[in-house]
Amino acid sequence: MEKATARDDSSSAGGGGELDHPISVFLSMERQFEEFRSQLMDSGSIRERIRSVATEMESALRVMHACIILVHQSVPLPEVLKKTKAQIVVLRDLCGRLAEILRECPGQYYRYHADWRSETQTAVSLLAFLHYLETESLLTHAEAQNILGWDALEFGLDIEDYLIGLCFLSNELPRYVVNQVTAGDYDCPRKLLKFLTELHSSFQMLNLRNDFLRRKFDGIKYDLRRVEEVYYDVKIRGLAPGESNQEQSA
Amino acid sequence: MQLAASSIARCFRAAKPLRLHQCDVMSSFKKPRMISTNSVMRDEFAKHADYLNEFNDKREKVIKASRDVTINSKKVIFQVHRVRKDNSEEVLSKAEKDLASVTSQYMSKLVEELQGTDFWKLRHAYTFAVQEYVEAATFCRFCREGTILDLKEINTTLHSLGDSHRKPLQISTIDYLLGNIYRELTLLAPIMDDSSEMKKKLEVMLQSVTKIENACFNVHVRGSEFIPLLGENDDQFPYMGLPYLDS
Repeated sequence: MEKATARDDSSSAGGGGELDHPISVFLSMERQFEEFRSQLMDSGSIRERIRSVATEMESALRVMHACIILVHQSVPLPEVLKKTKAQIVVLRDLCGRLAEILRECPGQYYRYHADWRSETQTAVSLLAFLHYLETESLLTHAEAQNILGWDALEFGLDIEDYLIGLCFLSNELPRYVVNQVTAGDYDCPRKLLKFLTELHSSFQMLNLRNDFLRRKFDGIKYDLRRVEEVYYDVKIRGLAPGESNQEQSA
Repeated sequence: MQLAASSIARCFRAAKPLRLHQCDVMSSFKKPRMISTNSVMRDEFAKHADYLNEFNDKREKVIKASRDVTINSKKVIFQVHRVRKDNSEEVLSKAEKDLASVTSQYMSKLVEELQGTDFWKLRHAYTFAVQEYVEAATFCRFCREGTILDLKEINTTLHSLGDSHRKPLQISTIDYLLGNIYRELTLLAPIMDDSSEMKKKLEVMLQSVTKIENACFNVHVRGSEFIPLLGENDDQFPYMGLPYLDS
């Protein structure tokens, strides 16, 4: 009995005109959520396509890496360069496919960025390594962007990705210098040390936040030290070629 | 900041040539090449330094604006929670006023900072603030009218804040959903595979829904035994302005 009274009171006080309210509310809510569902489906499918391209990129990069590390095994440089460059074509093609997908959703470049970031960073590091082997200079951002074919993209190659790629490059160099010296190239440490010192001091121009890039940058100094040690070893034993000997006597 | 960096850079530049100078005396032909590669790399990095400084400033501003939005949206939510049977009009109108000032003061700042199209990049910096804001706005609306504020309405409000020439910030679907509190979300669960944040919230929401269902059940079955809350002397509490579910 009491229960019924309570319910009666409630509908007269709180209800009234609002009784038919919930149905229309429910309908508009359902319509809205239907819209969300289709939007999420769309973004989900874009993400899936990006991921599949990223996976292919990853394996192409692995092949490229396998080509380029032949340089540690004293395979002649031109041969290494030729093999690696053949892979760049594959990489470029994949980057083009990625760019195409991104063009479908303008303004949302960074929405899916995380899905291909690490591949981009690896790509930059390999390209920069290749570029160093060829020219003994730094691959610039514009050059990297150009090789990947992302010049025309809305945002292009992300600067932070580029810089992180350079940090990866630095991690590869100590191994390279050790193997070069073993193979008898005693001038390599000097050139590499100069390059790495410049790179390190250039990085110091940046105001980095306490993030992944900062931590990677902190790692460069260990690479630098390793290269310095190699240079020291070579030089102290008088193995460094002419120019450096003269420097020693000066 | 920039000054410090450039002074450090200068000190490096000043320190290095000193040492290199000695070897360059002997091999003067090397000198021009070294300088040119050096400046190429420096120019390259100077550009990136500018970019990073600018971007970090922007992020800093966005974070600040977001914090204001979060704090003040929370205040609005607490305000709405103070709703009681006899003061609902007063409390809700105060909450709505506060919400309007959050929109005009703080959200507008955030919107202003996020002009441009790279706002996805900074998403993690402002997403929680926007979620809080959506929660405050929907909660307010729900307590007033028992309806949901839909995404279009919120975006229309924000649209007026933005500069119409550029692409204004629109609350993304995901931010809206995370800030929202509805059963229908479960329908979306299977396709939200990429968002663990979303999954967590869904679980919590299911718990909340269960709690509400239990509460409804209790009121329905044992309504007569209901112990009045905080000195309320009857249980026809017009909370949320909704009629009983079973009617």
